Amino acid sequence: MTSVYASWITLLSPLAAAVAITLGGTAISRRAAGVVATTGTSVAFAAAVVAFIDILGEDPERRSHLDTAWTWLGAGKFDAGLAILVDPLSIFMMLVVSGVGSLIVGYSIGYMDGDDEERRYFAYMALFVFSMLLLVQGGNLLLLLAGWGLVGLSSYLLIGFHHERPSAIAAAKKAFIMNAFGDATFALALFLLIAHTGSVSFGALEEVTGAGSTVTNLIALGLLGGAVAKSAQLPLHTWLPDAMEGPTPVSALIHAATMVTAGVYLIVRLHSIFEAADVVQDFAAILGAATLLVAGLIALVQTDIKRVIAYSTMSQIGYMFVGVGLGAYANGMFHLLTHAFFKALLFLAAGVIIHALAGEQDMRRMGGLRRLMPFTYWCFLIGSLALVGIPPFAGFFSKDSILAASLDRGTLGAILVVVGLAGTFLTGAYTFRMLYLVFHGSRSAYATEHHLDDGHEGPLTMLVPVGALAVLSVIGGWIQFAPFWTPVSDFLAPVAEPLAEASNWMEVVASVAAVALGLAGILVAWAIYDARRWRAPRWTAARRALEEKLYWDRLYDRIFYSPAVWLARATLRWFERPVIAGSAVGIGVGARESGEIASEVQTGYLRAYALALAAGLAILVLVFVSVR
Amino acid sequence: MLGPDITWYLVVSAILFSVGALGVLLRRSPLIVLLSVEIMLNGANLALIAFSRLHGESDGQVFAITVMAVAASEVVVGLGLIVAMSRRNLALDVDRLNSLRG
Repeated sequence: MTSVYASWITLLSPLAAAVAITLGGTAISRRAAGVVATTGTSVAFAAAVVAFIDILGEDPERRSHLDTAWTWLGAGKFDAGLAILVDPLSIFMMLVVSGVGSLIVGYSIGYMDGDDEERRYFAYMALFVFSMLLLVQGGNLLLLLAGWGLVGLSSYLLIGFHHERPSAIAAAKKAFIMNAFGDATFALALFLLIAHTGSVSFGALEEVTGAGSTVTNLIALGLLGGAVAKSAQLPLHTWLPDAMEGPTPVSALIHAATMVTAGVYLIVRLHSIFEAADVVQDFAAILGAATLLVAGLIALVQTDIKRVIAYSTMSQIGYMFVGVGLGAYANGMFHLLTHAFFKALLFLAAGVIIHALAGEQDMRRMGGLRRLMPFTYWCFLIGSLALVGIPPFAGFFSKDSILAASLDRGTLGAILVVVGLAGTFLTGAYTFRMLYLVFHGSRSAYATEHHLDDGHEGPLTMLVPVGALAVLSVIGGWIQFAPFWTPVSDFLAPVAEPLAEASNWMEVVASVAAVALGLAGILVAWAIYDARRWRAPRWTAARRALEEKLYWDRLYDRIFYSPAVWLARATLRWFERPVIAGSAVGIGVGARESGEIASEVQTGYLRAYALALAAGLAILVLVFVSVR
Repeated sequence: MLGPDITWYLVVSAILFSVGALGVLLRRSPLIVLLSVEIMLNGANLALIAFSRLHGESDGQVFAITVMAVAASEVVVGLGLIVAMSRRNLALDVDRLNSLRG
């Protein structure tokens, strides 16, 4: 039971930190707020480690514990408890979320130093980590949905943290609306599930009978809608690049530890329903493949360093979707883990650069930073190599195992492998384009002018997490080296039995092809952006289309935004003003005018009233006399 | 049955009532209006007593006495109003008391 108690501590300590900072208010210093938040998340990580060690000592087939604190929503036969599920999958996610999360929160102490609203920032950060932990630990679908919604809320609060910038507000709203769309489909799926099984427990998903039936497909599709929105996959991806408006550690948190990985977790956690609706599961894999390709292409032309990394996240989550969509659950989760390491590293290193260059994010104004920031350069290089998947860095082990497992899934798998390999080439190209633009070449005028040369690259609270993540990006992949040792797959297998197993030749083929293509991408980037042997191809039309992010935003603008605005204007003009506003005025004016007419009768002459009385009496008498 | 036919009583009653009504409608002095109202009431009283005698029952007479009591009260109020008006030097003309005009 130690694992269960430790898991409760993991869940509640970030919440406690958020509450403490909020209640403390100005009574605690800004620096103390950062320390409280870091402590909260670190305690969560320590407790997760305790739970992990404890669960390792248990029988592999009996590692799933559902612990209910109390029933907080009961109606008739339906009841949902405040329950956490402790099993290998949730512990795996707890470790990633709290571990990488606490590094990022600690880094924020240095990054946010001097900001006016540090306390608010750290309270939000702790809330964000808590939300994600609730998402991964929730013991039934209702709690999962609650965590799901809270993650959306915290991301909204943090993306819009710089609330004095209109673009940040717009980005926050965009993220929230896109996610709300996913939440809605998620909730609809839950309603369907409750209608059919009367329960929101995870076990209920297996009770939905009829593989491939309409109900099964609809539930799976609704859940996939939520996963796609949260994980920024096509076609609900447009919020992610804009979410770069938030402070850089927030981007790191969203991309590495929390939020975007939620969709991958969801598919693995609820794999039984997706396996019953195999059309939808294949669809998830296809969406992932499409996303990894589209995101890779768009990343080639972006000029904002954070946006390039954001698109690379979309692309890597696409790989995870391919993996879990094809049933290689452990491979997808393993890529989630290594991705958390190197993506957090890239973001935090980018944050060091942005911090040193007084907030500049445009890569065209950087250049030649290698000499100025050697430590950051090496860390960034490690992160880039891990992202491209060059051995022995982390991405190599996880990405290639997804591609290898895909080869086990027939024609669809083969097609997706080709797409994934093309994505690897693009990854190499855009990642090293970024690296060369930022660090190589001659030093830009802007960098010379703005760089603060005070002997070190940043405060220690920033550099230590970057260094730790760099180490993890080197050694993190070695946890699992299929087919030689596979502890991650073995650990997760009781939760989600894989549908795809790569044989040895598949591993070899996938690895060789992926590494070769990744190196080819790096070579192309080197030839264009470092050695300047080739010139970047012009292809004006294609370049324009990519710079416009393939017109997704405009498409949504045309389809949803413009008609909504038009409808609102039309109802204002043709309904609101004449009918709603008009009726209120009309009733008042009408009453006054009819009163004026009726008041003519009130002459004030006594005899007029007496005459009216007499006349009325006479008429009555006449009526009585004549009508017998 | 003694006296003239009931018709004669009713005719006198109607004449009294009409004279009173015309007085109320045409005269402008509040004093005369009040007198005219009394004439109308007495016209009605006459009809009540006539029918009472016709049917040989005393109900109509009781009603007539009630009407007289009410008329006396009314005169008290009406004369009080007229005295109040003359005390405040208002013109004794009902047409000029038209401040209730809408």
